[in-house]
Amino acid sequence: MTNKSEKSLILVIDDEEALRDGCRQVLEKSGYAVLTAGQGIDGIKLARENLPEMAFIDLKMPNISGMEIIEILSRDIPDIVLVMITGFATIVSAVEAMQKGAYNYLPKPFNPDQLRALTKRGLEHRHLKIETKRLREEKDLMESNFITFVSHEMRSPLVVIRQYIEALNTIAGERFDQDVREIIERCRKRIQSLEEMVEHWLDISRIENGTLAQQKVCLNLDAIISRSVEEMTPVCRKRGISLETNISEKLPQITGDEESLVRVFTNIIGNATKYTPEGGKITVSCQHDECYINASIADTGLGIAPDKLSLIFEPFFRCGGKNEKYSGSGLGLTFCKKIMESHKGCIAVSSKEGDGTTFVLTFPCQIDPARKVSGENS
Amino acid sequence: MTIKKKILLIDDDEDFLFATKLILEKGGYEVFLAEDGKTGVEMWKSISPDLAIIDMMMETWGEGFSVLNKIRATDTGKETPLFMLSAVDLQGPYNSFEPPPEFPKVNKVLQKPIKADDLLRYIAQELGVK
Repeated sequence: MTNKSEKSLILVIDDEEALRDGCRQVLEKSGYAVLTAGQGIDGIKLARENLPEMAFIDLKMPNISGMEIIEILSRDIPDIVLVMITGFATIVSAVEAMQKGAYNYLPKPFNPDQLRALTKRGLEHRHLKIETKRLREEKDLMESNFITFVSHEMRSPLVVIRQYIEALNTIAGERFDQDVREIIERCRKRIQSLEEMVEHWLDISRIENGTLAQQKVCLNLDAIISRSVEEMTPVCRKRGISLETNISEKLPQITGDEESLVRVFTNIIGNATKYTPEGGKITVSCQHDECYINASIADTGLGIAPDKLSLIFEPFFRCGGKNEKYSGSGLGLTFCKKIMESHKGCIAVSSKEGDGTTFVLTFPCQIDPARKVSGENS
Repeated sequence: MTIKKKILLIDDDEDFLFATKLILEKGGYEVFLAEDGKTGVEMWKSISPDLAIIDMMMETWGEGFSVLNKIRATDTGKETPLFMLSAVDLQGPYNSFEPPPEFPKVNKVLQKPIKADDLLRYIAQELGVK
């Protein structure tokens, strides 16, 4: 006897045959599918096989009691609505059944209307319970994916505009005059920096709500610096700036996320290239003592005015004001600061106008070198 | 006159489809568009393109992977070059997506937006066109 249709399946467990048959007739006539069992063990077996939505269980039966059945079914069958049938309805037994997971109780003798009404209410209760659970799960998922979702929604139109610009240049580029091409190129650049801004802003939000995927492992800072320098060498070469490293041997290891640390270094080196004139120099060096490693990125660029120095980690602050020729997202250094904080480190800056700027990143050394992997998340 | 090679583009963003179609047509291909995964798979069967480009994130995240699976499961889809498109930023849930060993072959993963020259070059490489 299986539930083949869309009908709600109701299980009745009672040792009285007349009552079982009565319930079956009433419930089937109301459009439900019904399974019955004359004793507890059979009832539990039927329930496990067929997963009914609702079950009526007689309290007083031989072998296994209704109370035990309620306990087992409420544990084993997801979202089942359990009703205790009892010939001697006392408050005490009703309360006990509810505590064990029953939804309600039905005192004997009962008439068909009572049975129908309780079944209808029980199934509605179940429906609401399932709906609530589903909504809660959806909400949790939405919350944890919210930033990624926003990111996708915000970036999609920008991506499409850039794709259109590609298409425009492909199908008609040759026909455009120089000034038209320049307008298109400027549009492309502005869109691209808006896209970067969205990305940086979202990264900062992720750090703040703790969902930035960082894999903190034991690593060597010199590997991070080599990777970053390698990545930034082409830009420096293009701008006629030399990029040098000066790293003391045998650096102690740190605990950190490689990807975000590389981004910190490339960000700061990238900034330095923007404010260092041709022929200038950027030096990345690294020293350490017992507790800290200091990595510094020094340039021979324009330098930053003392009154502006304390503001450069603020979002959207630009040293050159609105007319700044080198537009970035305005969030790069804010990102670096947040990443350093998430590594229990810090970032500092010193500068002299006309001489250059130096950023110092301070990392705590790993206390216990035997420990290979530290916490996954900050 | 030579017969044009056929390319099927599957992406749920109609503007992206249109923009990319213009580039591909300029490159001398015949282009077919599908705005969702299901249509894409059906069109794959009826058109038998020489190459398909599939967006990873469509109706659901990762829809593109299921489309890829279905196409690779068809007779004509076993060896045909397939490109996957992605606009997922690097910190997203697919950041760490590593295809399992038995995962169907993807010939190229492209980041959106795609430079026209790059796109046409990759396609030419796969199709062995000069």
